[in-house]
Amino acid sequence: MSQSLRPYLTAVRYSLEAALTLSNFSSLEVERHNRPEVEVPNTSAELLLQPMHISRNENEQVLIESSVNSVRVSIKVKQADEIEQILVHKFTRFLEQRAESFYILRRTPISGYSISFLITNKHTESMKTGKLVDFIIEFMEDVDKEISEIKLFLNARARFVAEAYLGEFVY
Amino acid sequence: MLHLQPNNLLIQKTLSEAIEAYGNGTPLTLDRIISDFDYTTFHISNASEDKLTLALSIRTKAWQSVSQCTGGPGLVAYLQSKYANYSGISASSVPESGYDYTLLLDLGKLQPEAMKDLSLLKTLVLGYAFQLAFNEFVTLSAAPEGTESETNILHTIKYRDDENLFIKPSYDRITVIFETIFQDETDKVFGKVFLQEFVDARKRNRSIQSAPQVLFSHEPPLELQNAGAVASMNSSDTSRRFITFVLFPRHFQTPELQFSTLSHLTLFRNYFHYHIKCSKAYMHSRMRYRVDSFIKVLNRAKLDEEEEDIDQQSKQQQTRRTITGRKMVSY
Amino acid sequence: MSYLNNPAVVMDNGTGLSKLGFAGNDSPSFIFPTAIATAQPSSTKKATATTVSGGSGNSSSTNAFFGNTTSATAFNSSQTGSLLSNNLAGKRGTEDLDFYIGNEALIASQGPSYSLSYPVRHGQVENWDHMERFWENSIFKYLRTEPEDHFFLLTEPPLNPPENREQVAEIFFESFNCAGLYIAVQAVLALAASWTSSKVVDRSLTGTVIDSGDGVTHVIPVAEGYVIGSAIKNIPIAGRDITLFIQSLLRERGEADTSLRTAERIKQEYCYVCPDIVKEFNKFDRDGEKFAQFVVESQEKTRKKIVDVGYERFLAPEIFFNPEIASSDFLTPLPTIVDHTVQACPIDVRKGLYTNIVLSGGSTMFKDFGRRLQRDLKSIVNNRIAQSEQLSGTKSTGVEVQVISHRKQRNAVWFGGSLLAQTAEFKSHCHTKKDYEEYGPEIVRNFSLFNMV
Repeated sequence: MSQSLRPYLTAVRYSLEAALTLSNFSSLEVERHNRPEVEVPNTSAELLLQPMHISRNENEQVLIESSVNSVRVSIKVKQADEIEQILVHKFTRFLEQRAESFYILRRTPISGYSISFLITNKHTESMKTGKLVDFIIEFMEDVDKEISEIKLFLNARARFVAEAYLGEFVY
Repeated sequence: MLHLQPNNLLIQKTLSEAIEAYGNGTPLTLDRIISDFDYTTFHISNASEDKLTLALSIRTKAWQSVSQCTGGPGLVAYLQSKYANYSGISASSVPESGYDYTLLLDLGKLQPEAMKDLSLLKTLVLGYAFQLAFNEFVTLSAAPEGTESETNILHTIKYRDDENLFIKPSYDRITVIFETIFQDETDKVFGKVFLQEFVDARKRNRSIQSAPQVLFSHEPPLELQNAGAVASMNSSDTSRRFITFVLFPRHFQTPELQFSTLSHLTLFRNYFHYHIKCSKAYMHSRMRYRVDSFIKVLNRAKLDEEEEDIDQQSKQQQTRRTITGRKMVSY
Repeated sequence: MSYLNNPAVVMDNGTGLSKLGFAGNDSPSFIFPTAIATAQPSSTKKATATTVSGGSGNSSSTNAFFGNTTSATAFNSSQTGSLLSNNLAGKRGTEDLDFYIGNEALIASQGPSYSLSYPVRHGQVENWDHMERFWENSIFKYLRTEPEDHFFLLTEPPLNPPENREQVAEIFFESFNCAGLYIAVQAVLALAASWTSSKVVDRSLTGTVIDSGDGVTHVIPVAEGYVIGSAIKNIPIAGRDITLFIQSLLRERGEADTSLRTAERIKQEYCYVCPDIVKEFNKFDRDGEKFAQFVVESQEKTRKKIVDVGYERFLAPEIFFNPEIASSDFLTPLPTIVDHTVQACPIDVRKGLYTNIVLSGGSTMFKDFGRRLQRDLKSIVNNRIAQSEQLSGTKSTGVEVQVISHRKQRNAVWFGGSLLAQTAEFKSHCHTKKDYEEYGPEIVRNFSLFNMV
């Protein structure tokens, strides 16, 4: 793990731990509704907190938008080149396709980010907050690892395929 | 599966079934469509009432352009000569309507060895252009030095809608150029990685030094520009690539080498796309694995209602249940 | 776009067998087990080459193209192996290319370095990794098609969750870039296949499908192209149970050969459905000619064993109609189940379901199976009508019961797919790659039905 990754993840971890203090909150506008305030256009400023923006560099950033009953965490995954771009896109879409089993995954990321999570008070009530934070940190680590592994695989496979094909011409 | 085979498995299977059934005295009634890569369709049907002869017809996108290649006996004559050695195979004078070429097969006389060659029909059609180039190479290289080093011979095979294959014989080499284009965004990126490796493979790996040289460019190579074939192309598309294989005499010295070279080259595009698809499939399985492991991590966060369940279950293990789920109570 | 000329690919991946072929053909081009043999992550790669080729030697005597003659994965060929720089093949992820499907998988799995698995369970895909590779090999090796140039028609069992459809779409559009996709319910295709029968006058998509394969028998009511999911019934009696029943009879008699293979052959060649068992027993006892003999040849064709075939000729298929003779925990006869199924459906479609009972699958191929079913079901229905007439005092117009059997019954699902996919309008019902890219996988949740008139 490179030097600057550790502080970056630590910063995300502490910010998330701070942000994940959610309470049940009924909608002020619609009777008997209980909606994630961070997702709806909000007129009452007291429900929304100042968003936190953690940036390692221009390619790797995390945006934490918190409100009284919900937190939206958006992650920008490192995309150094065209290949990583397409791999990240494919991977996040694959995950979002299975958002049902991820509970906290948002089906579309907010613009400018690769993937978003939406954690509501329902989630913090049924899950341990610490472990949720662990999950997001582990997710950030693993995504980077996975993308670079797939990229390596792709290059290795391409080389293998090309050599196997040209090998047929060796007499 | 690493390599694609040049022969069509289904033609072989269908014909051998037909022969077997004919041998058993119960000839099959056949009317089958069989397909192959690059807009090729075969049709196997009974040619006569008594089911003694079969018609094997081929329709392929490349037919028209290959038959326009000049300088040889003509495509039909070439195919004829390929099948002349086998008994029981004759070309129909008029191809079946909707198809380019029809062979009539006499089931009584057809030998099992012929089946392999019949299943190579599509490769042979494309191979005709290569064969012409091999022959021209011989005449060109025999010509005295300096007299006619450059020729304007360029064989074009239009084997797909937007993708063509060019063959240019010269006095010391034969250049085969594939024009390729990707419809899909992912394929474009993957294709780039793969093509780069094709170019680099020969430089990096000593053991395949003798393989043809591979070049790759965005612009039509000089061979095409000279021949004026580029004019017809729509050069606006940015994903258009040109892959050039430079064949040296050692790749086509004997008829066997010629055949092996051409059957690999005709399948180049298919091979290349097949492996792009395989890598995507592999990626999918990796991602499925990842999804599972992420879900496992996330489930760890769940509050432990399960732990109580486990306690209960361990108790329940003592109370035995029947297969329908009823409790067995022991007094 | 010239792919319009290419025939559509029809694939029916069942629990036991996969049927692959092209639209417009009258039978599938390939029928082989939905099995995949994958390389085990072991260091015994060297052994593979010898064992696999050894296996193919045996099988090639029967039919070369079901054997392993076309070596699919040439990893072990000495030429390529030595050429690859720093032996990449062993190092990083080429195991996913090293596998066999279908009959080749069965042979390869006999060796030590491949393990066999069946990616489809109970009609639904269980292992998507294996299924994806199964399709990959079916398309490129067996059917030899570039999926970008072809439309595909796939089948699914009734009550398949929509998520599974999305997974299929993800694989076909993202991995294979197929031009267009249509996913049809197997029962509906079986109905479409029955249109070839002369008994069918109007081409409606209403009817009851009895689909009996190797593992399980389904009774599926379909109304105007939609499966009535709540009324579907399953019967745990199918082809395999019949084979086992024959085998047990052979064993009781102490025949010379009681292998499963022999029982299977006897089932296919000699069995038929009789109108009445008691009469049939008498017939056999009076007329010795009814008894048959089945000759088992040993593999080298040197020794011959003779197996007598007796009452099992009609007793075996009888377990559909009198399950108590073979099973102790399932006792409802097939005609009663069919009747229950129709009765569980909305009242306005019941008539249509009774008049169009369609058979599909290999285990419905017994001679007179349809006739017996029709007779038994008719008597159940007539009894009920008589009873209600008596109770209400009014006269009923009657219900027509008709069981349709036809020549394409064995691969009815595939054939129905082939019929639909060759029509001109098929492509307009498909979802194309472009649609997929615009809307995402959820578009495959809906497919418009064919209105075939």
